[in-house]
Amino acid sequence: MLDSSVPLILDEKFVNARNVVAAREAWVETLDTNTSDVGMITLHPDVFSVCPRMDIIHENVVWQRKYKMVSKAHTKTKPEVRGGGRKPWPQKGTGRARHSSIRSPLWVGGGVTHGPRAFTTQFYMLPLVTRIHGLTSTLSAKFAQDDLKIVESLQMASDEPGYIEKLCENREWGPSVLFVDDTDLMPRNITIATDTIQHMNLMPVYGLNVYSMLKHSTLVLTVGAVRRLEERILYHLNRPDLTKANATPFKKQN
Amino acid sequence: MTTIAGSLMRSLGAVAQSMVQATPMALRGVSQGLAARAMPSSATWTPQVTSVRHRYHADKLKRGPLMKNYGYEDKLHTKGLMPHMVHGKRLPIPIYRPKNSWSEKRALFGQNDYIDILGDGSLKPTDVAYSVPHWLRGFKGNEYQMLLRKRKFFHNKMGQYQPTKLTELNKRIHKLYVHLNQKTKDYYWHKA
Repeated sequence: MLDSSVPLILDEKFVNARNVVAAREAWVETLDTNTSDVGMITLHPDVFSVCPRMDIIHENVVWQRKYKMVSKAHTKTKPEVRGGGRKPWPQKGTGRARHSSIRSPLWVGGGVTHGPRAFTTQFYMLPLVTRIHGLTSTLSAKFAQDDLKIVESLQMASDEPGYIEKLCENREWGPSVLFVDDTDLMPRNITIATDTIQHMNLMPVYGLNVYSMLKHSTLVLTVGAVRRLEERILYHLNRPDLTKANATPFKKQN
Repeated sequence: MTTIAGSLMRSLGAVAQSMVQATPMALRGVSQGLAARAMPSSATWTPQVTSVRHRYHADKLKRGPLMKNYGYEDKLHTKGLMPHMVHGKRLPIPIYRPKNSWSEKRALFGQNDYIDILGDGSLKPTDVAYSVPHWLRGFKGNEYQMLLRKRKFFHNKMGQYQPTKLTELNKRIHKLYVHLNQKTKDYYWHKA
């Protein structure tokens, strides 16, 4: 029989939260050959553990290639080709075909009727949401494949190119490395060291993009860069006017 | 004659019958000589037939493919580069120079394309597209629209320093206007 003095508390632990994704964790390292790992950082799952959408990544890469492209291929049309004002031979009498100009498109050396014309652009803008998801997909893919390294800061002991090359080789950071920091003014030593190495590049957070992340094997982010990235992407994912911003067609001024 | 033939036939028939009687079961693969030894033969002579294999596939392969068109020499080149001896020199082929995938332009391609998302929002990608001519940033159109834009941007300078070019530009615009508005149709699935 139940004891009446003790209140009846029937506590059942329901598993309500089925969609909660656990936060990811990553080691924090330093650009110092002597020390290995300094600490640990938690990464937001909506930025770094999204299921990567390959079609969206592809869309982003294609957009990055195309939207700045200007084709300067140009062919001259019939009136633009030099010469060809006179009728080459009379209409009738000669046994030859009738022609009015030596620069007609039928002739060798004549004008091109429907050829490429001067500056052809392929400009278009992807929807905002597609670009955000491209970033999150690529960051998630990089993190899942162990190509994302978190570093305390980009302070380095030496400004020799050999130092950073050896460091990357020892830690098996891929042939090409992209260092991303919060600011655009990078520390002196790393700037000098990576200046001559073409496949190791520095970038601020606002310069990060899907194409560069795929081109470089390893992506090295500072803690400040990680937090800034998370803050920016989560702001856009959670802003109240996201659907309006996404639906508004891009309008270039003037 | 017929009687002889008839008697011959009858004797052959008798022989056949006797043969059938003598060897009730015809065994395949067994030579008649062997069968005769097994069973005592009759008085009539039967030729000894032994089937022996003379040709083997291995020998055929050893002989090789059958020679055809003997004495025909093919004087055409069927493989390789075309010979082109001009003064004994080879055709000029440009020296292969692989492109540097990690030049600054290529290594940092795409930088700042997401500046409106990852920056503070004041700059757009078209504001920082320095590789694109300024009058084409954020623009897409056909040739007619592009020439109109070019004229809008440059008619002052061109009028001063390149008057002939401006005249040609105007002529082309007029020609395209006539062509697009009077000679071609705009369908809903295809605009010029």
